[in-house]
Amino acid sequence: MSLQKSFQAASANSFFVKYKKLIIAALLILFLFLLGEVTVSNFLSIGQILLTIKLSSFIALFGLCQMIVIAAGGGGLDLSVGYTATATAVLTASMMDGKNENLWIALLVALGIGLLVGAANGLLTAYVKLPPLVVTMAMSQIIQGGINVYTAGKNITGKPSPVLQIIAARTSGPIPNIMFLLIALTVIVMVFLYKTRLGALLFGVGANPVAAHLSGVDVKKIRSISYVVSGVLASLIGLLLLGNMGLAFKDMGSNYVMPSIAAAVVGGVPLTGGDGNYLGVVLGAIFLQTLTNLLVALGWGDAGKWTGFGIVLFLLLIVYVSNRRKR
Amino acid sequence: MKSGKLRGSGIRRITSKPEFSSFLMLVIMLVLTAVLQKNFFETKSIMRNINAFAPLILVAMGQAVVILSGGLDLSSGSALSLLTCVLTFVMKKNDPASGVYAIIIAFLVAILLGVINGFGTGYLRIPPVIATFATSFIWLGIALFLRPTPGGESVWWFGVFYDFNALKDVSGFFGTVGAFLPPALVLILAGCLLWFMVSKTRTGRYIYAVGGNNDSAYESGIKTAKVQILAYVINSMYIFLAALFFVGQTGSGDARMGDPLTLRSIAAAVVGGVALAGGRGNVYFALVGALILSLVNKIIFFADIPYAYQTLVGGAIVIIAIAGSQAYITASTRTKEIKIG
Repeated sequence: MSLQKSFQAASANSFFVKYKKLIIAALLILFLFLLGEVTVSNFLSIGQILLTIKLSSFIALFGLCQMIVIAAGGGGLDLSVGYTATATAVLTASMMDGKNENLWIALLVALGIGLLVGAANGLLTAYVKLPPLVVTMAMSQIIQGGINVYTAGKNITGKPSPVLQIIAARTSGPIPNIMFLLIALTVIVMVFLYKTRLGALLFGVGANPVAAHLSGVDVKKIRSISYVVSGVLASLIGLLLLGNMGLAFKDMGSNYVMPSIAAAVVGGVPLTGGDGNYLGVVLGAIFLQTLTNLLVALGWGDAGKWTGFGIVLFLLLIVYVSNRRKR
Repeated sequence: MKSGKLRGSGIRRITSKPEFSSFLMLVIMLVLTAVLQKNFFETKSIMRNINAFAPLILVAMGQAVVILSGGLDLSSGSALSLLTCVLTFVMKKNDPASGVYAIIIAFLVAILLGVINGFGTGYLRIPPVIATFATSFIWLGIALFLRPTPGGESVWWFGVFYDFNALKDVSGFFGTVGAFLPPALVLILAGCLLWFMVSKTRTGRYIYAVGGNNDSAYESGIKTAKVQILAYVINSMYIFLAALFFVGQTGSGDARMGDPLTLRSIAAAVVGGVALAGGRGNVYFALVGALILSLVNKIIFFADIPYAYQTLVGGAIVIIAIAGSQAYITASTRTKEIKIG
């Protein structure tokens, strides 16, 4: 009887432990909004909240790429996501030329770019065993170089297809459409990662590669696949980014790279791999965006904005990531 | 594999070292550059090259110290920018003594930056990638606060960090030395000397131990947090030297000038043969790696590759370089390890 009770207590406790980071992230967002309401007038409003979610959606989407690659372990990180997205947007803008019937070509091209970049990243990191940080950084440079070559001496022309604009830029009533996409994606990702075999493999490979290897899992293959998935996702996000902006330009995606990693970390994804909760990443992205909005609204200028962003992120990491034994 | 039989002989012993491939690559790059650039061996052109390469070399050497200790510094570019802003903020054109104050204050700021980074990663155990990413914004913000737009003033003698001729009116000696010796070389040699001294001390060995395996180092009684803080502080010293050079060259501060150097310095260290996992490599390798990357840029420039292709080729060469050195290490070492990812 007492044993049963202690089991129940343990499971209730583990529920809190399991979702601790989500709860903290949600509370932090709430705190920022309240702080904004006190210091800046009209900060806490439905419109502002929806706008923040819309702005943070791209960080959250790129955060999914990061989470998958990080979860597979081995020091995984993908610095090339923003550049892959840019490449897709720049290439497909002129192909679509604002027509819906050309969307399928754009999708095929996006798929191709994503597969190519992801496969290259995966092969070089998992099979040639090069450090992911440097490989994906050099890959970013290669992609940016490719974009430079493609756009050399001409303007980037073309418009996204209306469907993309409706998904990425428009709203249904007050609610931005991309929010529905994000909610659907979150559900799909959560089901995929926690209820399917492949999700279990991903986390298993990240948590303990030796055990995974000994139980017959092809660690290199799983890690390569994680980069391919990240590349394809990044490429598709490029289409949405194009839809949101309405036109393509040379560095439209590169500013999302580091924030997406930060969102993953703030969302409770350990950089050592093997764990992660996409809902946390989404909350992390919303947190970062709310923080940026608040610092902009305070009107301290660039200097105050970046100092505040850095200090809050650092303080957050202190209470948040360093929950292991201190030295 | 093959090296086993002839391990004793001299040539084999040299070629079986993992860093051999990066030195080989450096020699190839030097030959290529010498072929492409007609006046490569003239004193003037050597001096100009050293000046052009110096910032990356210095920042990469500092980066290597941190990587050896098992860390990473994504804030080194912003730290460099911040130090140039601090230097030009303190200096007043009409007050030659203010240059001395500026150097002292910038030096103290440099130490502080290193301590904060080391405290976050070493003592609080925040992953270095994200900890130094956060601090890079703090440095950037403070730099923008000191100098919202590039500019500022420096004292007349500060140019000595770029060209000894700046002091030739004081003594003819500087004019003579300035004709063949760029101060950048002195700064780089000072950087080498710094690592030479550190590597002879217990701290130097501890940096390798902590980078190789933080937990076992901790278990064997090494104060790992302290060692990591020291590594970041040494890194700051290199960044400080680079900042002196920059302000000497331009006489101004810029809150964003260092940004491109951050990732390039990491690439330089890895291309030179410093293992990103920590504990293996050497600070001098980062110097070699920085030289390779800089020469690649020169070769691309002189080989008449269209401007649009330069970024593309540069990125591809980084991957080829690290893949080459990795393949070389795999082929020349005979360690048995479980073949996993």
